[in-house]
Amino acid sequence: MDPIIQIQDLYKTFTENGKELVALDHINLDIPRNQFTVLIGPSGCGKTTLLNTMAGFEKATSGKILLDGKPILKPAPDRGYVFQDYALFPWLTVLGNITFGLTHNGWEKKEAEEKARDYINLVNLQGFEEAYPHTLSGGMKQRVAIARALAYNPEVLLMDEPFGALDAQTRKHMQRELVKILEKEQKTVVFVTHSVIEAVFLADLVVVMTARPGKVKGIVKIDLPRNRSYVEDHYLHYREQILELLEEEVEKGFED
Amino acid sequence: MSEQKQKPSGLSSRLKNTLDFLFPFLVIGILWEILVRTGVIQLHSLPAPSTLLVKFWELAFVNGILWKHLFSSLYRLFAGYLLAVFIGTAIGALLAQNQVAHDMFEPTLNLLMSVPTIAWIPIFLITLGLGDKTVIMAIFTSSFFAITYNTMRGIEMIDKSIVNAAHLMGLRGLHLFLEVLLPASMLSIINGLRLAIGYAWRALVGGELLAAMIEWGLGKMVYQARYFNDASVMLLGLLIIGFTGYLLDRVFLTILERNTVEKWGMAVKK
Repeated sequence: MDPIIQIQDLYKTFTENGKELVALDHINLDIPRNQFTVLIGPSGCGKTTLLNTMAGFEKATSGKILLDGKPILKPAPDRGYVFQDYALFPWLTVLGNITFGLTHNGWEKKEAEEKARDYINLVNLQGFEEAYPHTLSGGMKQRVAIARALAYNPEVLLMDEPFGALDAQTRKHMQRELVKILEKEQKTVVFVTHSVIEAVFLADLVVVMTARPGKVKGIVKIDLPRNRSYVEDHYLHYREQILELLEEEVEKGFED
Repeated sequence: MSEQKQKPSGLSSRLKNTLDFLFPFLVIGILWEILVRTGVIQLHSLPAPSTLLVKFWELAFVNGILWKHLFSSLYRLFAGYLLAVFIGTAIGALLAQNQVAHDMFEPTLNLLMSVPTIAWIPIFLITLGLGDKTVIMAIFTSSFFAITYNTMRGIEMIDKSIVNAAHLMGLRGLHLFLEVLLPASMLSIINGLRLAIGYAWRALVGGELLAAMIEWGLGKMVYQARYFNDASVMLLGLLIIGFTGYLLDRVFLTILERNTVEKWGMAVKK
């Protein structure tokens, strides 16, 4: 396995109301290149904190994260990020949002717009180029956000519960869309969710985390073809396996 | 897709708005005229609306000095206000971005914000003289704090993920400020600009009354009318000051709002 991201002895604490809390407790994890890794765990387990540290939004207390062997110190365009709340720029149109990352990384305006139109096609938003984000539905906004994050061609795509705010129907639809998009555009993805169904549907590798302090509880490799259904036997088998790992942690969370 | 409110055609709705706006003035004007003409009100110092109209015609089109007063005032207003816009926005952004500067200057800003502009004027009079500089400085002071404070708060309240998204795309420094922080905090900034233009307009009139070397300006026009016991010029001056202040808000800020926060869905269309 050729890891693109190496998390080495990562330790992170927060200070909350004067008390020191351990969010991430000496995590060691390799993220395989061009694969889909899902981070799953009970709420408050630090999965988003781990993702944000990979993005460079947050700093490690000790330990480090390497991207292609180089330590991650701050946010940079070698990573793309899809936020749960979309984080589109409301003052820019769909096209403007997608070209923004390109023109700020050395692209000429005309070429950037061409490239952006390719990605608008990829996420099926033809005809909405000039629309402002506030006129779009949640699912459409998240497609713009995915196109924006992919357009400037980052090494890694980080996704923080990207479909968490969508209704069940749209959510399933977006999961299928994401699989299709990644068939055309090979990418390393790190995806945070608390939905086991979503994890098994999307992942090559599921990393189950413990309740706070966050540690790696177990890793489940999902050996299924890309074209998955939600009801296959194998699929259910993986679900059971992950649920078992999770349940102990959820119970532990309640005992605290 | 969000629903767009059906609006009546542009021209007829604008005409209706103008009529709605003028209606109270017409009613009060006509009543007042009747009361003066029928002798119910008998104050020779209080002129009837028709007298005001005649006076307006004389000042605006016969000798034309009204425009000179108006433009002198507008010149001072824009000099002080624009200075406050640029400096205030920059300092507001700095205070929002830099924790050390914030901790040091935020309390001072709050303290100075509550000092009425009129209380600053004596200090400006003895340091900057009795002319334009004092009035411009008074306008600057009155609008600076509202702009600085609202810019600072606006930037502080931007969604963390918006700033994170911009950081990830490699934006830093001036690019980040101009292309992300400024538009993202536009709602709060416009609130500041709106408060500030009101404060500035009041400071202008106050400053013109007190700065003795000034000859022209709407405030001066009202003040000087006292020597001639001319209430019609005073009242006319008040009306023009009111209308101009109203138009400054309507014209500049409404256009700015329509092309920014309303278009971007940050504020509901009025």
